Amino acid sequence: MVNYVIRRLLLMVPTLLGITVLVFSVMAMAPGGIGANLLTRGGDMRPEERQAMMEYLNRRYGLDQPMTTQYLRWLNNVLPIGYETQADGSRGAFGVKVPDLGMSFVKNRPVIDLVAEALPVTLLLNALTVPLVFAGSILMGVYTARYRGQALDVGIGTANLALWSVPTIWMGVLLIGFFASEQYLKWFPTTGLESLRADTWTFLPLHTEAGWQRGFLLDVLWHMVLPIACLTYSSFAFLTKLTRSAVLENLLADYARTARAKGASDQVVLWRHVFRNSLLPLITVAASILPGFLVGSVIVETIFSIDGMGRLVVEAVQMRDREVVLSITLISGLLTLVSYLLVDICYALADPRVSYE
Amino acid sequence: MSEAVVTRRSDRRESESFSTRVLRETLARYGARFGLAWIAVVALAAVFAPFLANSHPIAMKVDGAWQSPLLTHLTWIDLALLAAFAAAVGAWLLRRRLSGPRRLAMVALVTVVAAGTSYLTLSPPMAVIFDQYRSGLADGSIESAIFAPVPFSPTDRSRDNPLSLTPPDALHLMGTDEDGADVLSRMIHACRIALGIGFVATGIALAIGILYGGIMGFFTGWVEILMMRFLEIFESIPQLFLLLTVVAFFGRNIYLIMAVIGLTSWPGYARYLRAEFLKLRRQDFVQAAEACGLPIWSILFRHMLPNGVAPLLVGASFGIASAILAEAVLSFLGLGVVDEPSWGGMLNQAVGPGGTFAVWLATYPGLAIFLTVFAYNLIGEALRDAIDPHLQRQPS
Repeated sequence: MVNYVIRRLLLMVPTLLGITVLVFSVMAMAPGGIGANLLTRGGDMRPEERQAMMEYLNRRYGLDQPMTTQYLRWLNNVLPIGYETQADGSRGAFGVKVPDLGMSFVKNRPVIDLVAEALPVTLLLNALTVPLVFAGSILMGVYTARYRGQALDVGIGTANLALWSVPTIWMGVLLIGFFASEQYLKWFPTTGLESLRADTWTFLPLHTEAGWQRGFLLDVLWHMVLPIACLTYSSFAFLTKLTRSAVLENLLADYARTARAKGASDQVVLWRHVFRNSLLPLITVAASILPGFLVGSVIVETIFSIDGMGRLVVEAVQMRDREVVLSITLISGLLTLVSYLLVDICYALADPRVSYE
Repeated sequence: MSEAVVTRRSDRRESESFSTRVLRETLARYGARFGLAWIAVVALAAVFAPFLANSHPIAMKVDGAWQSPLLTHLTWIDLALLAAFAAAVGAWLLRRRLSGPRRLAMVALVTVVAAGTSYLTLSPPMAVIFDQYRSGLADGSIESAIFAPVPFSPTDRSRDNPLSLTPPDALHLMGTDEDGADVLSRMIHACRIALGIGFVATGIALAIGILYGGIMGFFTGWVEILMMRFLEIFESIPQLFLLLTVVAFFGRNIYLIMAVIGLTSWPGYARYLRAEFLKLRRQDFVQAAEACGLPIWSILFRHMLPNGVAPLLVGASFGIASAILAEAVLSFLGLGVVDEPSWGGMLNQAVGPGGTFAVWLATYPGLAIFLTVFAYNLIGEALRDAIDPHLQRQPS
């Protein structure tokens, strides 16, 4: 198992290289490309300041050099081992160094800071979404499989089919329109993840003489209701359908009948025998669903104005912010590959017959 | 008497080809029928869009003489679509005379010829003043005019009388958008983008996927390992990221968006065909073809492909749905086509910056995206059940 994991981790390296080469060449081939003159948005700068900024960017990132040189310089910067880059752009000593994701040309801040602000938000959304989706859909799938053919099963099945086909953009607009706008119910906030002065509040709800204050935790949860509803519903519907058919297939299998014949109770047959076997298709599907949440958060973060990775990437792409786009591609590619690996490991854990030796 | 009928029918069932059986079993399902009906509605709206919704009158009387501004303003795309539709109807009428590939070739030929000639010869006026008809009718310089059922063009923004975001009324059946353009008209014209993006993008993806997967499934060793690595690279980039990057750096062009969606969605098909070809390779007919000394392209694409292509159609059906969705998302994020109507772009206007909510802009475009995606998903599911009832349920 350890060997397998190490081999898979090593195989990630060429894939990640390929991803960055691909995205880099897309940006490099664009008409105009990325030059310092495009990136310096110095509306309020004096011409000489602007010129100095351009020269600095050219020196630091080699933007006036051929594309291959630019790419190799970028690669050298993000790797933990390589030549150090001095402030004037010249090459320093070779050795172990701190990986440098570069500066955002537009925001004039280190990319690592921007990511450090945005990534926790997206991870928080996903950390709540993924367990919710899996726990909910497994329970509902098992339940509908057990009471198959009854009115409730048929109703849930039809609702799921429809839910699965509703585009996230439509659901988001409807949720925000009906539950957060002035004209209809104004139950939830429309933007952001916290209220304006929430950072001055206590973490837990507080009751004082001045009145009731909901506290930071409840405030964030209140803000996250609609975004999470928007992120979960479609995978929830899909996974419920999948769990139902998997459990159903196993409930009708010979070994389940044998278990019942030897006197095992319905509960034992369902949860000890059938359930574990039904998990396998769910894990297979997880490989394609986990990266999907990342994309889903692009849409949801745009609709609900949440400053996460999704919004960062949309903004960076619109502003042609090269370093940010490349860094986010690298990070999201890494997250995708790691989630594939996790899924394969889960597969081996759930099914003793699967072995990677 | 009745016995004879029964035998004849069962005879026909036994002798019918695989494709006929799949078609019959697909059409037997209500989901597929509903899906096809909705797509037919969208297709008809796309083909006849200029005649359904147009600010140019079909006919108008000026100085006692009749003229038709609608016809003079037709573009080469309008004519190409009309020609393709006419050719498709003709092919259906001639279905007993011509074989399948010939009918397909006929439709393609007529479309290409019509598109080419009209592109070279047609030159509709570049500057269009939609208001001239309204003011002409008002001041009497146009004596009378016959309009299309929806008398507004999708880009007729009525800037003179600000009508932006008016709820549906008798004049604008589905209300107006931010710029005062008629939503119903934009809905009708947006059918073109939805249909076009689905077919073109999936066509590109299928072509690359078949070529790539076929080669990967036939050659083993280093070629396969390298190609598999390359495929994994494409699979690991979220499609939306790449799409956003390309659109932001190369400009918003509908043809570019189609191409990029196609170029990013082929890995699934390639993977599937590879698995299928690995199975087929060991079969006797492939061995026999190899022993006969047939060239590789012939073995791959004339002998093996027809045996592995049916399940690809299922994937293609789901692929069309996700291509339409991708374009809608792109337009929704404000990176889609400029000026042209698109369902996703209209949906984007439903929630205003001040927290205002235009229900009609959320309902109609959203419903259209939903129904179209749903229709293709239903057809895909019916096709899958018809081709192989035991096929595993794959995530689309």
